[in-house]
Amino acid sequence: MIAKIVCYALNGLEGVPVEVETDVNRGIPAYEMVGLPDTSVKESKERVRSALKNSGLLFPMNKITINFAPADIRKEGASFDLAVAVSLLKASEQLVGAETDGTVFLGELALNGDLRPISGLLPILISAKGHGFSRFIVPAGNAREASFLGGAEIYPAASLGEVVRHLLGVQPIPPLQTQIFVPHASKKQGGADLKYVKGQPVARRALEIAVAGGHNLLLVGPPGTGKTMLARCLPTVMPDLTFEEALEITKIHSVAGTLGEEGIVTERPFRTPHHTATVVAMCGGGNRVVRPGEISLAHGGVLFLDELPEYMRSALEAMRQPLEDGKITVSRASGTITFPARFMLCASMNPCPCGNYGSADRVCTCTPAEIRRYRRKVSGPLLDRIDLQVEVDSVAYDDLSVSGKQESSAAVKERVDMARCIQRSRFEGTRVTVNAEMGEHEMEAYCALNRESDEILRAAFEKMQLSARARSRIIKVARTIADLAASEDILPAHVFEAVSYRIYDKLG
Amino acid sequence: MEYSRAEQAIIWLCMSTPFEDGVRAALLRAAGDPARLIPDFEKICAAVIGSPQNRVYKSDRTSREKEAEVCLRALEKLGCFAVTAASSDYPAALQHAFRPPVVLYGMGNRALLRERKFCIVGSRILPPWAEKTGKAVAEELTERFCIVTGFAEGGDSAAIAGALPSGRLICVLPTGIDGCYPASHAGLKREVAAKGLLLTEYPPHTGVQKFSFHARNRLLAGLAEGVLVLAAGAKSGTLLTANCALDYGREVFALPHNVGAAQGVGCNELIKKGAYLCTGAEDIFAAFGMQPRARSAPKLSEGEVRVLAVLNGEGELHAALIAEKAGMPVYEAQSYLSSLELKGLAVKAGGNRYAPLSQ
Repeated sequence: MIAKIVCYALNGLEGVPVEVETDVNRGIPAYEMVGLPDTSVKESKERVRSALKNSGLLFPMNKITINFAPADIRKEGASFDLAVAVSLLKASEQLVGAETDGTVFLGELALNGDLRPISGLLPILISAKGHGFSRFIVPAGNAREASFLGGAEIYPAASLGEVVRHLLGVQPIPPLQTQIFVPHASKKQGGADLKYVKGQPVARRALEIAVAGGHNLLLVGPPGTGKTMLARCLPTVMPDLTFEEALEITKIHSVAGTLGEEGIVTERPFRTPHHTATVVAMCGGGNRVVRPGEISLAHGGVLFLDELPEYMRSALEAMRQPLEDGKITVSRASGTITFPARFMLCASMNPCPCGNYGSADRVCTCTPAEIRRYRRKVSGPLLDRIDLQVEVDSVAYDDLSVSGKQESSAAVKERVDMARCIQRSRFEGTRVTVNAEMGEHEMEAYCALNRESDEILRAAFEKMQLSARARSRIIKVARTIADLAASEDILPAHVFEAVSYRIYDKLG
Repeated sequence: MEYSRAEQAIIWLCMSTPFEDGVRAALLRAAGDPARLIPDFEKICAAVIGSPQNRVYKSDRTSREKEAEVCLRALEKLGCFAVTAASSDYPAALQHAFRPPVVLYGMGNRALLRERKFCIVGSRILPPWAEKTGKAVAEELTERFCIVTGFAEGGDSAAIAGALPSGRLICVLPTGIDGCYPASHAGLKREVAAKGLLLTEYPPHTGVQKFSFHARNRLLAGLAEGVLVLAAGAKSGTLLTANCALDYGREVFALPHNVGAAQGVGCNELIKKGAYLCTGAEDIFAAFGMQPRARSAPKLSEGEVRVLAVLNGEGELHAALIAEKAGMPVYEAQSYLSSLELKGLAVKAGGNRYAPLSQ
């Protein structure tokens, strides 16, 4: 008898339906798998055999042929185990009367018959729902992740035995209750909060502007002055995740297998790749299965690059296009996959190799040539994409010990939310969501400068020898500053402040 | 470029013969009229060098004339000219310098040699305010002086930046006229050659050597009527220029630095020893008995006036403290500070600190 069971393979962030066809014939006992299965899929043979035996079920001693259709895409991973086992049971007539049509079976088997959670479940469920499937059997370990998908019957099973009893109607599994998404359900950022950042009035303000307008941020300062701490506060002042955003981020993290206990990403990601990260680590890739890179894992959140000049040049340059487009297209022999990558870039660096350049109390021992060489490690085009460049103060001991009241993240977030609200209503109906994403067309419409402001910018242009790109960056930042002040027009004061955050152009 | 016979002879002596500077000067003295050098070289040499084993000259008169021709063509090919001790526009002031060079190779606007000259120098690493002040002073001084400076980074670059737009700028190189040190200034070199004047005492194709900077510094002091030192550490090479200037009887000016600032110890030392304390171009004009041109004060808003008052009262200060003293939020103070910066009244000193600039 032939049995057909549906399961799913993963291609990037998309699920692809795969039919597992099993034929059990009389003949010399054999077990063949066809349809381009990978080694890890072929290994399921042994797992399925043991799982069946240990669940009190029979492994047919006949000629067994298993086919994965469509046969032209490569199947990888252990998520087909459950489907193989169920189809085998059905073909060997151990599931008589069970309704398996229209049900998607997902899960990896342990030798004792337990079901292990798989990565990439949520993207599979979302794709499968789009393909018209509405009944799923998933590992109990993935239950939380799956429970955010509404409008589908999802049955979490802990073992193969449970699945069989459910299918036979002996002991039905109750379907999962759809959960309501609550942002910030759990705090992961190690309790980072702006109220713990001492001093740094200038950097704080820049942080607020950066988040309000979605601008990228560069923190320049001597080592040990709290650049990392400031950066860690970024997610705490960013607007709460909406459910759609959370789903999209969860999809990426699910595919990468970095999803935590709660099954959905409730906080904006904060990724800090080490500076040895390669282009593939940054942008995504892989041998056969293409996995998302750091910039995709930071989607919707913050990508923090500590000690920017130490990163591999190629890895930094590869980020330039995603910074503009908000997505990355990875091309491999097996296909081309596009991952979303709309993140906020926050980078930190020392002002010079010794770190004391511009310090009040310590002497910089670097020669001008050394400083130039150090700064040249970060390319101009990348720096041009960083709208705000601020210096972080070296903190005196007195500032550290004083328990002066510092504004908390919540208070800053309120102002940020206000500014974002203004931007939302401004860009209603366009693809732009924040000021930093404005194109020429939007800038013309919303960033008209009055004569006075225009003259200031012209003067700044000549004095600081700014690039044309820097000009539009300054205007965008000035727009955000005006939004924070709830001002309809961009006033000269806003332009001046925006100019003061271009220290790199002056240091150059 | 047309050269007289005397000039040709000197150029030949400097570019084709292997003698040291002192020997060349002695040969010139012995010749009396430099034009005699080429025809009577054997005789003059015999008188100066004496002992037969030192007689390195082997050429006869015709080949010497040919060599001179080759030298002139080489100069022309490089697009430069030579100013010799026999030239009418050879800077007379250089006579006071130690071992005045017999030939100066130049590229650019030769007429600048006849102008009054003032030298601005500073160490390669200097505080931002000193750099800005140096630039502003250089810019203002170009009304009356041609600015003389080296070609290094830091102080020299500040002076170049101030004087280059007006074209009244002489840069003295530590290499041959075709060399460039530091190499990153190649673009700047072309600009100076186009607008101002490049000078060097070294023949073409001479690379940079350890002593060339010190030797160059004596020319800086020798060429100018006065020297302003923007910044100098305790053992800075810049101090050498100042000391040469004192030896040659030039006026020496120095910017005052904070007590204990490593980059300004040398400047403060100079002031202690009697150099003029200089805070702006008007101090230099006053020392030379000149009237500075009156400038209109820039228009300032009420907030800018408040911030500037704090800055002028306190000196270099962190933006947050400025804001606190002026009674406004930091971001507001920042916007005023950056507007003051554009107006040339303040300068960012690094680490979010700002320093006032004298007007």
